[in-house]
Amino acid sequence: MLENVKEEIQATLKKYPVKKSAVMDLLRIAQREAGGHLTREAMDEIAVLLEMQPVEVNAAAKFYTMYSVARPVGRHRIWVCRNISCSLMGSDHIMKHLEQALGVKKGETTSDKKFTLDVAECLGSCGTAPMMQIDDEFYENLDAKKIDGILKGFK
Amino acid sequence: MGLQPINPYKRYIMVTVKINGKEITVEDNTLILDAARDAGYEIPTFCYQADLMGIGSCRMCLVEIEGQKKLQPSCVTPVLHGISILTETPTVMSARASMLEFLLANHAMDCPVCDKGGECELQDMVYKYGPHKGRHAEPKFKFHEKDYALSPVIIKNSNRCVQCMKCVRVCREVVGRNVLGALGRGDHQEPTSFFRSFLDCDADGNCIEVCPVGCFMRLPYRYKTRPWDLKGADTICPYCATGCRMVIEHRDGEVIRARAQLGVGMNSETLCARGRFGYEIINSEARLTTPLVRRQRHGTLEPATWEEAFRIIKERMPSLGGNTVGGIAGARLATEELYLFQKLMREVFKTPNVDSGSRWDAAAVEGFIAATDMAEGGVSVFDCMEADTVFVIGSQVSEENPVTEYIIRRISAGRRMNVIIAGPRAMKLDSSANLLLRHYPAAEAALLSAVILDINAAKLAASADLTAAKDAKLDGHLKAAGLTIDDVRALATKLRNSESIAIMAGTEFLRYPHGIESLNLLKELLRSLGKKVRVMPLLDRSNQRGAWEMGVHPAFGPGYVKAPAPGLGISGMLDAAADNSMDALYIAGADPAALYPDEAHVKEALSKVRFLVVQDIFLTETARLADVVLPGASFAEKDGMLTNQEGRAQIIRKLLPPPGKAKVDLDIIRALGEMYDRSFGPKNAALVLDEIRRAQPMYADVSLAFNNKRNVDNKLDNKAALVKGTKAALTIRKFEQAASGQDAQYPFMLATGNHLFHSGRLTNYSKTLNDLMKGMTVEISEEDALASGLAAGERVLVSGAGFSVTLMLTVKKGTKRGVAFIAENFDAAPVNRFFRKGKGAPRVKITKA
Amino acid sequence: MEKILLKNLNNPDAHKIDVYIKGGGYKAFEAALKLQPDNIIQMVKDSGLRGRGGAGFSTGLKWSFIPKDPTIKKYLCCNADEGEPDTFKDRGIMDWDPHLLIEGMLISSYAFGASASYVYIRGEFAFGAKRVQAAINEAYAKRFLGKNILGTGFNHDMYIHCGFGAYICGEETALLESIEGLRAQPRKKPPFPALAGLYGKPTVINNVETLACIPAIIERGPKWFSSIGPEKSPGPKIFGVSGHVKKPGLYELPMGTTLRDLIYNHCGGMLTAKPLKAVIPGGVSAPMFTAKDLDTPLDFDSVAAKGSMLGSGAVIVMDESTCIVKMAHIINRFFSHESCGKCTPCRDGSPWVTNILSRLEHGDGRPGDVELLESLCTNIFGRTFCPLADGAVMALRGAMKNFREEFLYHEKHKRCMV
Repeated sequence: MLENVKEEIQATLKKYPVKKSAVMDLLRIAQREAGGHLTREAMDEIAVLLEMQPVEVNAAAKFYTMYSVARPVGRHRIWVCRNISCSLMGSDHIMKHLEQALGVKKGETTSDKKFTLDVAECLGSCGTAPMMQIDDEFYENLDAKKIDGILKGFK
Repeated sequence: MGLQPINPYKRYIMVTVKINGKEITVEDNTLILDAARDAGYEIPTFCYQADLMGIGSCRMCLVEIEGQKKLQPSCVTPVLHGISILTETPTVMSARASMLEFLLANHAMDCPVCDKGGECELQDMVYKYGPHKGRHAEPKFKFHEKDYALSPVIIKNSNRCVQCMKCVRVCREVVGRNVLGALGRGDHQEPTSFFRSFLDCDADGNCIEVCPVGCFMRLPYRYKTRPWDLKGADTICPYCATGCRMVIEHRDGEVIRARAQLGVGMNSETLCARGRFGYEIINSEARLTTPLVRRQRHGTLEPATWEEAFRIIKERMPSLGGNTVGGIAGARLATEELYLFQKLMREVFKTPNVDSGSRWDAAAVEGFIAATDMAEGGVSVFDCMEADTVFVIGSQVSEENPVTEYIIRRISAGRRMNVIIAGPRAMKLDSSANLLLRHYPAAEAALLSAVILDINAAKLAASADLTAAKDAKLDGHLKAAGLTIDDVRALATKLRNSESIAIMAGTEFLRYPHGIESLNLLKELLRSLGKKVRVMPLLDRSNQRGAWEMGVHPAFGPGYVKAPAPGLGISGMLDAAADNSMDALYIAGADPAALYPDEAHVKEALSKVRFLVVQDIFLTETARLADVVLPGASFAEKDGMLTNQEGRAQIIRKLLPPPGKAKVDLDIIRALGEMYDRSFGPKNAALVLDEIRRAQPMYADVSLAFNNKRNVDNKLDNKAALVKGTKAALTIRKFEQAASGQDAQYPFMLATGNHLFHSGRLTNYSKTLNDLMKGMTVEISEEDALASGLAAGERVLVSGAGFSVTLMLTVKKGTKRGVAFIAENFDAAPVNRFFRKGKGAPRVKITKA
Repeated sequence: MEKILLKNLNNPDAHKIDVYIKGGGYKAFEAALKLQPDNIIQMVKDSGLRGRGGAGFSTGLKWSFIPKDPTIKKYLCCNADEGEPDTFKDRGIMDWDPHLLIEGMLISSYAFGASASYVYIRGEFAFGAKRVQAAINEAYAKRFLGKNILGTGFNHDMYIHCGFGAYICGEETALLESIEGLRAQPRKKPPFPALAGLYGKPTVINNVETLACIPAIIERGPKWFSSIGPEKSPGPKIFGVSGHVKKPGLYELPMGTTLRDLIYNHCGGMLTAKPLKAVIPGGVSAPMFTAKDLDTPLDFDSVAAKGSMLGSGAVIVMDESTCIVKMAHIINRFFSHESCGKCTPCRDGSPWVTNILSRLEHGDGRPGDVELLESLCTNIFGRTFCPLADGAVMALRGAMKNFREEFLYHEKHKRCMV
């Protein structure tokens, strides 16, 4: 699976004096290559590459919330911030609106596999609350209308 | 105080601190926890364990330090001169109770169905420190509904976990497998395997033993008993010469558990799979329970009474047999039994032909004893680990002596030292080594000769002729060992730069004795350079050293006293038998037919012995050839003493009577003697031990006392148990290297030894140990597998001259190319069929089956 | 006031090295290379700069703990994990002025002899990470990074390490574990990172904003820096204001600016006509203030004197419509979600507290809940391995101290009073 990204992996390995340090980068690459989640096979592959025990790779992956371990997700992952600033500015409504608009509950994936709707703790965009992250992008100062427009932009 | 990593750079400064008002002087850097214990105050802990690196996470050990606002974790906080520590104030006590309350908040509380109930540290601590009222009324997080098996020996219930991580840490820091990890975080954190999947590990169960609660549990023991219904006995594991102390326990006559205890024995809480799950042989249906005799010359073995068996022996075994009678005793018998055995042979049968074990040549044994300084008394493995350099050679120690390996790993990780490993096969301990030398099987001699030449090079440099001669010789050695000059120089440099060196020499020197001389030479050379050199043998049978020290050897008697007229060792006796000149042979606790390295020869020889008596606990390959078979006792059924490879004398205690009509071996040997001489004795183990102590300076003062209660001190090195040195005149004979022969048709050199899960053939009777393996295997290097187009898990045909067997292929990264390994433990793959008497390492080829 | 740290905020091209250099960038680094490393450490000490990550420890002093032995490899780690809820100041620097950070890191590394540095950026900041990586690449191209930098013989490599969703990585030793490829659980101290940090080597861990202060200290001198704000915690400070104000966002102001000034002057006052109910002065761990505390100067010591902390300088403003129980629940839910699992009180105590708060908020309070919460706070506080759970407790205690009746109302009437 990681055959196609050999160069990227080599570059990552160069960053660190010990191979194990590259585990987070490799997990991220593997998740990206697999379309958003991490498989057992990918972790086995990473373990061999980095001369680690598979369980160490598994343990690293399960510690960080942005890795989706063995949980397939939609093509786009939506993270709605629910921490204090966003909550003050109405993130509850944002979530409700997204649930309605997508027809899923939080934690679920739309039937067309387009979106997975998740909550996140503070994403560090508090001055522009409420906000959400879709894939790598932040969407800020949200309201229902703005959300509808944003969702339309995703094919 | 706990066993701190030994640090040669540490300055031993003493500091004075107050604990609960009591002044105490301890070494600087002592942990508060240890200092408090010294002062007599117990501090409760979950995550602390003396032989693991401190993590300070369970917070049970919080104490007050006067002048500091926060409570401090005493298990990771060292004392500072002048501080005043309070361990029993109301704040500390309430902190303890609150930690327990937090642990209980997410604890399953299913004590009535928990195997740990009654010996659970959480139960004990809540009883002692509270809280005695529950306030938690929220839903609990459940990791899983049903317990799940992690391996054939581990069943897991994470809902009971207290997150001390000892399982993960012992697997990583002590066992070196590192197959457990903590998945998830916060209250969802769960120490388990990769995706909770079934483990392919060493199955040693150390994770179970260190678990304070019922989270990691023994699968074979599950729901069989309550701990208070067990009866136990202190014993020593019989499956290698590390000499691990353990307790075996039975309920209603069935042994169902073996466990080690923290701070007891040199192994503390650790055991390997053999020790922890090999007890099943005691209960085996296949145990011999009655004497068997062959009433007709080519008839079958039939049950008989002891009287009949003894009568036949008396008829056919002449008391003054002399040279045509011989005795072979197994190195798993107790020291007292071995002593009496050689006494029987020498004094009753008047024969000098006595030997122990099934595999090694007696002259090789004598040389090995001399080269490893065994007659100079016991050498503690902990002392060895204080050396600048530890050099392991001639032993696949990770598999032969797993717990010795744990000790090497654990201590070497805690201090700056060299660990050098020389051997053909990759092993788990390699990751602790800072120099690895991969040589061909049977090439220890070449490697050692090369390094001796290199260390001596300075002396030779003056003369060009000598240098040239040296270079030629060196090249020869390098080629024979399959090493480069850089390998040898690296080794020589490390040895030269060390002030103290411990050499751990394994049984390969006995299998291929031409290395013994070089081993001795290297030892002497290093000593002549002013270095402190300790040598410790690594042996694979529990009482091998005891057998030799009791004089079960044709060249010397008890205490290595030279025999007046040397007799025949096992090889000599078999040769004589093959030559039709053995009238009688008495073999107790040994199985040469299965293990002597030339099956055709040993079986032919044994069948030509005119009268063969075999005493054992199973109908072994050898017993099948006997005229009379006597049922002996397992280690669980006798009192006695074993001497481990270090020379540490330790006692075992009887848990159960032998099954059926079987008898304790000591009683059989004595009764046999009495049949010829009424005064033969002493009459019981205690009296035999008295006689040994009286006659032998080595054992005169050795202390057999030991602490048998779990304790946190971890004072593992009981030096009073080490045998003393004696004056012995042992000879190191020169052995010629037997040619292994180059043959393109057979590209692999065959190595053998014990499998991690087995010891000799005995452990074949443990169902659990057998089930750990998917089948018998042959192991080769990754490169060879690739080159021959073979894959791990494939069925392959291993063929040598005259024998072939189908096995499953395992592939090991880092093993020397051209080396194949088959364990000597399997009845269905008798590796001794590949060997030929007097020949070197056999050669084989491996093809797809 | 002249902006030092946020001068390029929303300046679309400032992240490019040429623009940065044109604006005087890397001059401070070039000047630093001509100084003795020890002098730089002394300058930073003299400036009075205190770490902007939250603890407020003297930066110069931290550097001075690093062994001087040149044969030992040393590391600088920039803590750009910015995980403390409602903190978004470091993101402002990374997104808009990445070279300021790199220059600060270079000077720091030169000062205590680090030959490599890692910028630990939280995984959610993909944009910032791209910006910083591009800036690092530019700096290599201009020979500000690499071997023999600007011909001085100083070597330095800089890398990005991306987090992937774990607040605990902001704890400096957890951050090191994370770079080493392990689960990010804090390490025991001692040994402190200054002696045995990343890969066992001496390591300094500094916050983004702290490092961004360094070039100005070199360029304008420690006296200039220490003259800004109060004597004991001087310098410019970024305040990230969020919640019920008209103009939330980042504000760079002198240390010691009062809360009132910040909220009513710089941020344009409350969002609606509803008056201020509570304000958190330094990220969610900081106990909340009420209107009576508005004249507190925002500097390390003044805020601490009032029983709270300046922390990261994240100011959260809440008006009368805010349910404090809900806020306490959100904060504690966050901390139990982010608990690393290492130590007992945080792992098992925080979720317990969160469960109770959740019940209270959702109308399922039980008699004795508030008392139980207080008792649990006592049992957690100061007994954990790292300060994460302390933050949760401080926040809850602050809320319960100022709004106890509101909690009791939830307990008794099983509903919210606002």
